[in-house]
Amino acid sequence: MIDPTQLALIHAEIDGELDDRQRAELSRGLLADPALRALRDEMQRLCRALDAVPQVEPPAQLRTDIFAALPHVQPRRSRAARTAPSWRYAAVLAGVLLTGAIVFRMMDFGQGSAANEMSGTLAAPRTAVAVDMVQVSAEGVSGRVGLIREGAELALNLQLATNAPVDMVIARGKNSMRVKGLGTRGSPGAQPTRIALPGFESGGGPIRLTFMRGDREVGQAVLKESTGH
Amino acid sequence: MKEYDDGSLVQRTLDGDRAAFEQLVVRYQRPVYNAALRLLHDPEEAKDVAQTTFLSVFEHLADYDPNYKFYSWIYRIAVNESLNTLGRRKPHEDISGEEMDRSPGPDRLAESEQSRAAIEAALMRITPELRSVVVLRHVMNLSYEDMAATLALPEKTVKSRLYSARQQLRAMLIHEGTR
Repeated sequence: MIDPTQLALIHAEIDGELDDRQRAELSRGLLADPALRALRDEMQRLCRALDAVPQVEPPAQLRTDIFAALPHVQPRRSRAARTAPSWRYAAVLAGVLLTGAIVFRMMDFGQGSAANEMSGTLAAPRTAVAVDMVQVSAEGVSGRVGLIREGAELALNLQLATNAPVDMVIARGKNSMRVKGLGTRGSPGAQPTRIALPGFESGGGPIRLTFMRGDREVGQAVLKESTGH
Repeated sequence: MKEYDDGSLVQRTLDGDRAAFEQLVVRYQRPVYNAALRLLHDPEEAKDVAQTTFLSVFEHLADYDPNYKFYSWIYRIAVNESLNTLGRRKPHEDISGEEMDRSPGPDRLAESEQSRAAIEAALMRITPELRSVVVLRHVMNLSYEDMAATLALPEKTVKSRLYSARQQLRAMLIHEGTR
């Protein structure tokens, strides 16, 4: 009768998962028990045969078929965004973009000086390099925001849901802008959405996102360019 | 072409870059297809499972948690799709080990091929749950830890299943005089 502990050690040895103490324990068992040695030989042969079962190339048609089917499939929202029933205002920031012109207000956080105004631009959906991504879990706001680089320009890729309208202030140094009314009722569903960052040139410091309800801050997130590729 | 890690390709796909998803398909189509093939022993079904797996991955990519290894996630989907396919098979459609044993014909095969055919046949006679761990360990070369993550099972359970599977395979092959 083989000791189950010794048998487990044989399997672990085959899988390369033995530590030094276990290896010594197995060695002692093998020295003392010829039946254990025979079983170990059998198991080793079996596992070599299993390892030798050849891998085959998938049919060339597989890749073609996958990409032929892709236009009919779209990535869904995250599970959290789909299943939060109380989030009646849930919307991705895409809604903001699709409404057309979004007004950003220039403001200086540090000094609280008078804000300038500028128009936000909708970044065209094109290939972009992901630079950083941050999960957002603020009061009434959740999801993620990605920082992407398109040539020399930066943009945000938003996938957020809110339980009530919220503003997002995007700031780096003295450069900042405010996106108003995210999650307004009636906004479209949660598809990834880009917001171009005019004036936020590539190569600067961290970009701070501050979520505001009126004058009250409800959460923050930071994106860094240095973590990119 | 620059080689991106899985996490970067996932993020780029979510950003709308389908070329990034194509790289993931190229990277994982072989292991996914082979896992399905060894679980199902049917090339056509394995191809269908591989296709369904990648479409499911694409559709649910936003649910992928980057704290976990991407390949564990995709292999889990592939294994579950394969088990679902097995579950849909009618009893007479199940490819039994005995049926597969007959097909090679011992007089037509070299000893090593005979041994391989016997092993593949024995694999189809153990339960799909046990077969899954054997495939993940010996076809996909996953560690205990990665197998546990892939199957969403405790590592202890994975080890127990793997050891049971090997012992059953050994017993079958000894009984048939193959080993």
